[in-house]
Amino acid sequence: MFRNNYDGDTVTFSPTGRLFQVEYAMEAIKQGSITVGLRSKKHVVLVGLKRNDDKLSSYQKKIIKCGTNLGFSLSGLAPDARILANFIKQQVSYNELVYGRDINIQKLSELLAQKAQKTTQTYSGRPYGVGLLIAGKDNTGVHLYEFQPTGNVIELYGSALGARSQGGKTYLENNLESYLEEESLEELIKHGVSALKQTLKDETLTVSNLSIAYVGEDQDFTIVDGYDVEKYL
Amino acid sequence: MNHDPYSWGRPTDSMYGQYNSQIANAPTSLEGNMASGANQHTTSPIVTGTSVVAIKYNNGVVMAADNLASYGSLLRFQGIERLHKVGKTTMVGISGDVSDMQYLLEILDELTIEHNYDNDEYSDNVDELQPDYIFTYLANLMYHRRTKMNPLWNALIVSGVNSKTGEPFLQYVNLLGVKYSSPSIATGFGAHLAIPLLRKLADSEEEAQKLTKEQAIQGIKDSMRVLFYRDTRSSKNYSLAVIDKDSGITYDNDVNVEDMSWKFAKDIRGYGTQKV
Amino acid sequence: MTSVGTGYDLSNSVFSPDGRNFQVEYAGKAVENGSTTVGLKFKDGVVFAVEKTITNKLLVPGRNRKIQTIDRHVGCCYSGLIPDGKHLVNRGREEASSFKKTYGKNIPLYALSERLSQYVQAYTLYNSVRPFGIAAIFGGVLKSENGGDNKPQLYMLEPNGSCFGYKGIASGKGRQTARSEIEKLISADDFDIETFSAKDAVKEAARIIYLAHEDNKDKDFELELSWCSLSETDGLHKFVPKEIYDEAVQYAKEETGLGEDEDSEDNDEDMDE
Repeated sequence: MFRNNYDGDTVTFSPTGRLFQVEYAMEAIKQGSITVGLRSKKHVVLVGLKRNDDKLSSYQKKIIKCGTNLGFSLSGLAPDARILANFIKQQVSYNELVYGRDINIQKLSELLAQKAQKTTQTYSGRPYGVGLLIAGKDNTGVHLYEFQPTGNVIELYGSALGARSQGGKTYLENNLESYLEEESLEELIKHGVSALKQTLKDETLTVSNLSIAYVGEDQDFTIVDGYDVEKYL
Repeated sequence: MNHDPYSWGRPTDSMYGQYNSQIANAPTSLEGNMASGANQHTTSPIVTGTSVVAIKYNNGVVMAADNLASYGSLLRFQGIERLHKVGKTTMVGISGDVSDMQYLLEILDELTIEHNYDNDEYSDNVDELQPDYIFTYLANLMYHRRTKMNPLWNALIVSGVNSKTGEPFLQYVNLLGVKYSSPSIATGFGAHLAIPLLRKLADSEEEAQKLTKEQAIQGIKDSMRVLFYRDTRSSKNYSLAVIDKDSGITYDNDVNVEDMSWKFAKDIRGYGTQKV
Repeated sequence: MTSVGTGYDLSNSVFSPDGRNFQVEYAGKAVENGSTTVGLKFKDGVVFAVEKTITNKLLVPGRNRKIQTIDRHVGCCYSGLIPDGKHLVNRGREEASSFKKTYGKNIPLYALSERLSQYVQAYTLYNSVRPFGIAAIFGGVLKSENGGDNKPQLYMLEPNGSCFGYKGIASGKGRQTARSEIEKLISADDFDIETFSAKDAVKEAARIIYLAHEDNKDKDFELELSWCSLSETDGLHKFVPKEIYDEAVQYAKEETGLGEDEDSEDNDEDMDE
């Protein structure tokens, strides 16, 4: 049943020092639909492709807002992401209540990393099966972080998670200069949608499956859904 | 009308019957009788520091407090500094119980250490600890403790400038968790003796905007002199902090009250050697 | 490998018939593949250097720091599983804070080393956890006015919980090159720790990372440098300021003949802005 003897749990190293269970959790991200995140000096944009199980069901939420200044898009197990969203919301309101301040995004991402790392070193429980692209603003400007089930959290200019995300990543790598210096939010969103389009196979973007969110130095975290995304299709 | 201020706002005997003073005089845990279930924590400060005074000016805040810790009326410890730097642009001035002050300092030290974890000081955009964060935290702490009926017996003044906006910051919180802001703030005796002097300099935020650093320092020095004249728990030696938007914190822990005249003292009964 | 297939290597806290604990050894393998880290002791402090291979072109330069601060006077870097390293650093911070609460003083390095190794060792004892997949190099100098002895200390802590003091040490992929280079440096006839200054140490640490990178030449990397010195940082652990960083990189490139014509140069310059 198992591929080898060393992949049954998170507390067993393989002879080469790998943790297969954690690597498999990373695979769960790829089961999810694509999401792309990218930033300029002033804005961060998240773009996601929503999925529905069958024609009659609604679309699964792809982007979750966790406070006035931050939110994330997800790929992988959505229920796991909701747990992490609740955790983030707690941290955000703690900082608001106790210090009267906006949470530092770097600090927040370290807390998430810490939470995820625990699941990779103890037998009980399992690693989170979800990857997040966290977009937010704080006193030090705008930031985009990628969260992984391994407990790694890295700050990037752009990233893509989920099925066929490589195409999106390649677009982001090739166009880094043009969107990094981009002043306009609209143009940045267009870059995001273009990156997303690189990864599409059978799907077409519609008002019901495209989800967009942005945050900027002078803008709160905002989700754009439904007919409001029509102009970006 | 009962003219005794003590009775104001209390239930009248005519309405509720006579107050059963056994309730207030019930034995407490401090008296070694737990049977009543009444528990007490700190009910008075022990070693104390007196007033802290502070005023805003056009480019920052000036604050002062003397370097004395009294044990009742005994001027017990000299060289106890009561103004403390927290982060890069904040000073916290603390009056009241000195051991509670020392506890607060430990907490503030840990706060700064935790803040600085993974906070790269060489990046273009450092996330500095701002005066309002420190104040909000302390105000929450003070209110939390009083709600547990175990207050930290202090009155605090947090002063500083926001390192991003340059905005001067000055706010007060005490053992009840009461907080307020004003262009000039003083704790303890200073609230009675120094505030009138400081309000003469700047009675509103607009007037504080026009005040120069030199004027503000002079106002604080005058206040410290008046306080030394009249407050028997004060010392001549004090600390003075200036938190300026441009030049940051300048702190002198060895300032002395100057230009005093004690000529009037010879006419005061009880001053100096008694001649009967 | 003799361990594979015997069944003794499938669970933590299990001895093999010849008295080995394979899971701990496998954790060591995670370290051996990790990025190269170097710690060097000098006259009045320690320096840390880390090679960060650039795995992703979209990483923000100068961010995603690998060297961390445990307490004001203690720095730490590690090779292996990065999240495990962060876990250990968090534990170190808790220990430092609890020491301060109890004794009112900063934690001395030897006390920290004992507490951390005890913690790491505990993760080899139970089959409900796994060992740490890191080797952590940490150290610093505690000023005498803060209850220390003004003497720099440098330790390396391994997955099995053993922890030794070193004059200089390296771990990770390039450890062999790096260690022999450190040995050469320290055992040279004209080497005297009393004249080995902070700035010299930073340069040497940079050079050693560049040398150790040679086997891995095709990959770009960022160099991270931090120090803790009585003369330069007043005993605090800090990243090396840009000018001194640039000087060290310059020196490292000249000495090793590496990097001049590589495109990694730009990345390196950007790094400490």
